[in-house]
Amino acid sequence: MISLYMAGNSWAHKLPARVKLIFLFVLSLLIIPFNTLWFSAALLVFVVALYATLGRQGLEKVKVVRPLLWMMGIIFLVHVFLGDIEQGIIAVLRLLAMVLLANFISITTHMEALMDAVEPLFRPLRVFGISPRRVSLAVALVIRFVPVLLAVYASLQEAYKARTAHANSWRLLAPFALHAIKMTDHVAEALTARGGADGFDRDKK
Amino acid sequence: MNDTSKTINFDHVSIERSGSTIIRDLSVALPDQRVGIIGRNGSGKSTLVRSLNGLLPVSAGSLLVHGVSAEEGAKKLARVTGFVFQNPDHQLIFPTALEELSFGLRQIGVGKADAKVQSLALLRDHGIEQLGERPVHELSEGQKQLICILAVLIMEPKLLVLDEPFSSLDLRTRVALRRKLEKLDQQILFVSHELDALSDYDKVLWIEDGKLKQFGVPADVLAAYQAHELSGVDLHFEGVARA
Repeated sequence: MISLYMAGNSWAHKLPARVKLIFLFVLSLLIIPFNTLWFSAALLVFVVALYATLGRQGLEKVKVVRPLLWMMGIIFLVHVFLGDIEQGIIAVLRLLAMVLLANFISITTHMEALMDAVEPLFRPLRVFGISPRRVSLAVALVIRFVPVLLAVYASLQEAYKARTAHANSWRLLAPFALHAIKMTDHVAEALTARGGADGFDRDKK
Repeated sequence: MNDTSKTINFDHVSIERSGSTIIRDLSVALPDQRVGIIGRNGSGKSTLVRSLNGLLPVSAGSLLVHGVSAEEGAKKLARVTGFVFQNPDHQLIFPTALEELSFGLRQIGVGKADAKVQSLALLRDHGIEQLGERPVHELSEGQKQLICILAVLIMEPKLLVLDEPFSSLDLRTRVALRRKLEKLDQQILFVSHELDALSDYDKVLWIEDGKLKQFGVPADVLAAYQAHELSGVDLHFEGVARA
């Protein structure tokens, strides 16, 4: 469900990352007291409308929730089973709206801007000797390497399928883990080659 | 004597990698602008060049890179030596090219706004401004490798080390990237199996079993390497078949 940055120059791209994150935070609190069907539906319409303001390419990005639909289905069915269809619809609408809103922020915000915006939140970690810069770098790495790891898994599947005619197997998990660990070595080396997580100027202090 | 500020000097250098000595007692001075490094897989080429950036420490002897001694620490070496790896997917840390380039500048203490302006300017100089905002995983292999090279160059290293960076690229892209390298002011150390690509270089260094086998002008070293490696190829495979 991590969809990457969408190049553009829209109003949403220009909005400071911090403003967007605070908006997401406030809205996610608001949905707790406003526990009604119409509010949840309106929220979802509003969020989809945000995508629409980015144009056709933006609206396309709504598809990001597709892999989550089965989970939404289960959540809805659990509510039906418990005899509360309305709550089921509200739960699904809310989840969709919040996932889409969070995704809207990630497609319209540079990783770097997002990192700078969340860095202050990690400051308390300094007490434990963890630099906030490292934490935000880790977040960037996760987002960067999800598509890379998916590609690695796809190539393993291909190699497996070429010899067994099956596309998937639990047997692929161990080699996948090994590939991922090997990759962390390479990435760590590349990061070290450019001054490491803390950079050059920070040494002097 | 050569000007040490523009020279790489290995003096009886040994380098260990995960406990075993890969490079043993190697001495050579490299004042030339363009140096190629050749040798078999596993001969120690990668190990040797990794010491220049401080990625691997020198276990014996002394190493001087553009006036910086290995004893001054890995970070000092990393500041003078830019390193481009074989696989761009291991080197690109950020989701977009612009962030990748800015990262290098921010590493050396440039402010956020300036870093962005300078990164855009460099992309524009190379006619790829439009790639700046695209997610890197959507770029072609050649574009990715160019971004890797630019992300290193933007930090203005004095020496650029390339460890088989073009091995997964097509001929056209290789030639295009090589031409870009030719124009650079930096000293270049190029580890490669493409022997023809090194024929225009100033010098070629041939490494075998962690030792210096031959060092000289490309015409001599490349010819000797080819003759040495191709004689007995059949014999070698006979040996494999029997085993």
